[in-house]
Parts: sequence; C-alpha cells; structure tokens
Amino acid sequence: MSLPLPGGAVAVISLAMDRKPQVPLREIFRVFFMIGATGFGGGMAIVSLVERTCVREKKWVTLDEFMHGIAFGQILGPFSLNACTFVGYALRGIAGGIVAAVGFIAPSFVLISLLSWLYFRFHELPQLQSALKGTNPVVIALIVVAASGMARAKVRSPAGVVMAAAAFAAASFFDVGALTILAAAACCSLGRAWYGREHA
Amino acid sequence: MGGLVKIAWIFLKIGLIFFGGGYVLIPLLHRIMVDERHWLTLTEFLDGVALSQLTPGPLAILATFTGFRVGGLPGALVGTVCIFIPCTALMLFFASRYERLRAMEVVNAVLDGILPAVVGLVASAAWNLGRTSLSTLRDFLLLAAGYAVLQFTSVSPMVVILGAGLVGYLMHFS
Repeated sequence: MSLPLPGGAVAVISLAMDRKPQVPLREIFRVFFMIGATGFGGGMAIVSLVERTCVREKKWVTLDEFMHGIAFGQILGPFSLNACTFVGYALRGIAGGIVAAVGFIAPSFVLISLLSWLYFRFHELPQLQSALKGTNPVVIALIVVAASGMARAKVRSPAGVVMAAAAFAAASFFDVGALTILAAAACCSLGRAWYGREHA
Repeated sequence: MGGLVKIAWIFLKIGLIFFGGGYVLIPLLHRIMVDERHWLTLTEFLDGVALSQLTPGPLAILATFTGFRVGGLPGALVGTVCIFIPCTALMLFFASRYERLRAMEVVNAVLDGILPAVVGLVASAAWNLGRTSLSTLRDFLLLAAGYAVLQFTSVSPMVVILGAGLVGYLMHFS
C-alpha cells in the first residue's frame, strides 16, 4: 500500500478524493465506550445517543446514512449494537466497526460480570433500581428529542407523514415487529419509485 | 476447555438466529439455557434477564450472565463474543456494500423512502417506554426537564442521564 509518491501528490490525491481526516481508532473506542457506559435504557436510547454524538456533534455520518444504518440494523441482532458497528465502519472500515462494537459492549460486559459474580455469590440483586427509576424519564426525553429532530429533517411530504404515522401506530398499538414494518415501508417506496418512473 | 468450546458453539448458534433482535431472545434463551442445557434454573434465568436490563447493553448481554454461570469469567467472555459475532459480521457486510447499494437508483429510492418509517419506529420506542415506565407526576416532571435540557442546551446527554440517575439514587425513588 505504500506507493513512493511525493508529499505533494499525496495531498492532491487526498484532496481529489475529498477525504475527511481519519478519525483515530482510539477516538472511536472512547466515544462508543462512553455511549456504552451511560446509555441506560438500551435500544432506541442508544440510537438516540449515537445520533446526537456522531451525527449532530461530531458530524461523522449524515442523518441519512445513520437512519439507513438503523434500518439495516433491524435485521439480525440488537440494533443498538448494529448502529454503533455501522458508524464505526463508515469511519474506519472493518477495524472501525469492530472497535465501535467492542467499545460499546465493554462497559455492559464489565458491569454484568461484576453483577453476575455478586449474584451467584450472594443471590441478591444489588440495589440499582432507584437510580434507574430516575434515568427512565430522561431516557424517554432523549428519544423524543431524537425522533422530533429526525421527523423535522426527514418527514417532509404528506406521504412521508402518513408512513411515519402508520409505522408509529403499527409499532405502538399493534405490536408489529420493526423488521416487518421496514419491509412494508420498503415495498411502498419501491412501488412509488416504479410508479414515478412509469408516469414521469 | 471443552466447556468453553461448547459455550462458544451454542452462543454462536443463538447469535445466528435471533432475527429482529430484542425480545425474540427471551423465549429462545429460556428454552436452550433452562430446558435443554440446564445451565440455569428458571429463577436464575429471570434474575439474569432483570440484571441485563440494568445495563446499557442489549438484552443479548444475558449471554455474559449465562456464560459466567457455566464457565466463570472466561465463559462470560466467550459467550459474549460469540453471541455478537454473527450480527456484527452481517452489519459489517452491509456497511461495506452500502456505498454500492446507494449508487443503484432503485435501492436509493427505497432507502430514502423508508426513512419516515424509521422516524415512526424511533417515536414508537419513546411511546412504548413511556407507557410502561411513566406513572407519577415526578416522572413527567423529569421527562419535561430532560426534554428541555436536551433540546435547548448542548449539555452532553451522558451528563443528563447520569445526573438523573443520581437524583433517583439520592432521593430513593421506588
């Protein structure tokens, strides 16, 4: 990979490719470790944290890319972890994805190992419940902020409003799985894309 | 060593089949850990679920708990790594094809078309969580305060969440 190019040529090439400066793996680990250490509430709370940190603050990925990551992440396994992997990959390829995933899981792993040890030793749950009762409403606030920000940016057309409302209702009131909802949404937009092309 | 290989193999298999994530995992793990393998008693399993809800990690972190029970800390490590290998690998695969997928017109139209549905899903998570965990005036006050801080200031959400946890701890929320 180390072609003998003069410094100027390298600069020109990197300018031409419009590459952002590489984010160090250490920084990726640090950010996702923090998310994994404080993202109590799991699931969408994590996604909201990642959105706030990596999209709004650090601008590592665009909102579009990030939301596609969430959609892919619904397929296999926990989507909170998948969203982290996706952002990590966007920054530094496979190494970045793995570092982000490990960084995110590490705090929970340490915490659970500690709690498991206590549990199997004393057969009692440590009293963390009060603290978590306090974080619950704030976690919900975090998700609401993320959802409203995404809605303002990405739900513009009447059709979009209908789709968002339908997805919300299906997931909230009818207990439909996320993967099913996204598949249905994909069919809808596929249909509209075809229709738009035929009637353009 | 044989024990660790067995743990690795079983969690790898679980990692391969939990499509849709989250709560699909509870009945699946219950069947394998309690009924088939007898690695956990029912009480232990339920306590493990409660414990894994305490952490920021996904429910699959239950693999750490079970692995710990069967093989101590090495078992916990092997179980955790193995349950997350399949989904991480798949995600890396998708991420690596992402640019190419986006370049295809139809795929791009579909990807952009489903964004409102993603918004609906995120909003629904707030709704579902709120329905089960917001009950008292205190909860709603915290919700409003949290919303105000997160929407209108640039205070890090980590600080806000830890602060709220501290409030709950100090005021003995029950």
